[in-house]
Amino acid sequence: MLTIGLTHYLIVAAVLFCTGLFTMITKRNAIGILIGVELVLNSANVNLVAFDRYLGSERMDGQIVALFAIVLAAAEAALAVGICINVYKNLATIDVDSASQLQG
Amino acid sequence: MSFLADTNLWSNVPVGEHLFLFSPMIVLVCTMLAVVAFPIVLGRSAAVTATIVKLGVITAFILAIRVAGQVTDGGVSGLSTSPLAGLLIADNLAAGFQIILLVFLGAVTLLWLIGSASSEENSPEFFILLLGSALGMLCMTATSNLLMIVLAIELASLPSYAIVGFNKRDRLGAEASLKYMIFGAVCAAIMLYGVSLIYGLVGSLRFEDVAEYTVSQMVSGQNRLLLSVALLCFFAGVGFKISAVPFHFWCPDAFEGAKIEVTTWLSVASKAAGLILLARLVVILCSAVDYPIEMSLVQPIAWGLGIIAAVTCTVGNFSAYMQKSVKRMLAYSSIAHAGYMMMATAVFLHPSTKGYEAGLTALFVYIVIYLVMNLGAFGVTALVSWETGSDKIEAFVGLMRRGPWLAVPMVICLVSLVGLPPLAGFMGKWWILVALGKLESNLGWFLVIVAVVNTLISLYYYLRVIVAMILKDDGQPVIHASLGGVAMVNICGIVVLALFFLQGSLKTTSERFTRDLYQAATNQDDSHRLAWKDL
Repeated sequence: MLTIGLTHYLIVAAVLFCTGLFTMITKRNAIGILIGVELVLNSANVNLVAFDRYLGSERMDGQIVALFAIVLAAAEAALAVGICINVYKNLATIDVDSASQLQG
Repeated sequence: MSFLADTNLWSNVPVGEHLFLFSPMIVLVCTMLAVVAFPIVLGRSAAVTATIVKLGVITAFILAIRVAGQVTDGGVSGLSTSPLAGLLIADNLAAGFQIILLVFLGAVTLLWLIGSASSEENSPEFFILLLGSALGMLCMTATSNLLMIVLAIELASLPSYAIVGFNKRDRLGAEASLKYMIFGAVCAAIMLYGVSLIYGLVGSLRFEDVAEYTVSQMVSGQNRLLLSVALLCFFAGVGFKISAVPFHFWCPDAFEGAKIEVTTWLSVASKAAGLILLARLVVILCSAVDYPIEMSLVQPIAWGLGIIAAVTCTVGNFSAYMQKSVKRMLAYSSIAHAGYMMMATAVFLHPSTKGYEAGLTALFVYIVIYLVMNLGAFGVTALVSWETGSDKIEAFVGLMRRGPWLAVPMVICLVSLVGLPPLAGFMGKWWILVALGKLESNLGWFLVIVAVVNTLISLYYYLRVIVAMILKDDGQPVIHASLGGVAMVNICGIVVLALFFLQGSLKTTSERFTRDLYQAATNQDDSHRLAWKDL
């Protein structure tokens, strides 16, 4: 019988992180990139909570960070969608490649 | 409510005198609330908003000066239930930066009043965002806790994304804010993942513990790869704020798309805050190293910082070369200046216990000087572009005849940005080079050469604007800039000149603000740490 331990959580988190990173790199749609960002943020949350559950005994710093991170992700998503709507109104697309008037 | 009896929660509520040390931040929060609340009663107008913001910033500034007088050497950490794990720190460095940032906030507000106040319908929202990012920057410089660093960077960044694309009908602004936001969100997410790995390895969110752990792992050679990955991920977030290469792509686009007062704000304030944060982290790392035995262990970190600084500097200068827009040129030059300032952080890893002092003082001096000269240069660019509707170099042609009161401070600030005597910019570079020379290692000499070569490169593109202003003239009409703006840029010019001659007192003041940083006792008490088992 397989017992679920810290390693399993860390693997889940690492898979989430890689999926998120891959999404961020390959997607050209701004919302797609943001979904990748959310995946990476949540992989960090899984890590933090798992470390607390399996390694710590007294304090819960990791869980508190995870709570803050959830709020942070929500704030960031709200702002990001607002900016995307603004871009869509102006450029009629949210493809990041077509946003090229500024030569970075 | 039995759990309340078990904890010593109430005995650890921050006391009044500790809260007073954070009063400038509290005043900024109150100003943000007032800016939303008062227009409901008094009606939405730029005048009401401007009055509230002026009052708030001036109050915060006065309090910041009083706080700087009260901060004890070594500082305190506050807002914590444990004396060892404070989220916010009040020490000399944080207090000094508070004063500088509030002065700069006042100047940006003034610039906004001159240029945008008359046409702005959404002034309360603009100032919520501006003050919010200022608050985030203050928090960034006053913490060594990983959670607070993440929160502060986000608090500084999120309003910045919105403020760059503030004008809803502006296509460039929308595009700039999209790029800035996506880049920032990616860096923040990667940074949080780094923080989670660091927490898993170290078992604490205090950077003092992280530094101690890093050094011990470097000695024993365990977990080296994982720790390096975690620290690199974490650095992505800090590097994004400093716009260090390779996290600099957002910088020129965001700066060009934003309104010019916003560009002024972001170009100096966010970089200065990021650099102070980086400096604090490096100092903590240094203090965990046992000199001089373990010196070789931190050499790779010093080289890493130094090389990133050198690359940042060079990339910024070469990109500024071909720019036609003065605003964009100044944006790239701000990347280059971030590189010079980052060189000072490589100095901290010096082969003596107190070696970081020269670097930290040089960094602080440079930030003060850079703030004034950049404010002057951006101020003139703003006034010219508001009058002519363009920030291209062509708009500056013949400025010496069209507006001598603008041209003279612009020349002073640009020459100072190059770093030529007898102007303050020279002193800024000089102290950094002296600190690098004291390093007496290959890294130091390498960085000195890079800095000098870069200064020569930068001479060309700054000089191009000066030549256009003085030597050319194509008969464009005379510029009638507003009196307040002219006064501000001329004050900047005079201060840049004066700081060169007052370099002694500037250095003394900087030394006062950079000595005796807050250092939590690292080794004395391990009870605050988790009982961390091995993986």
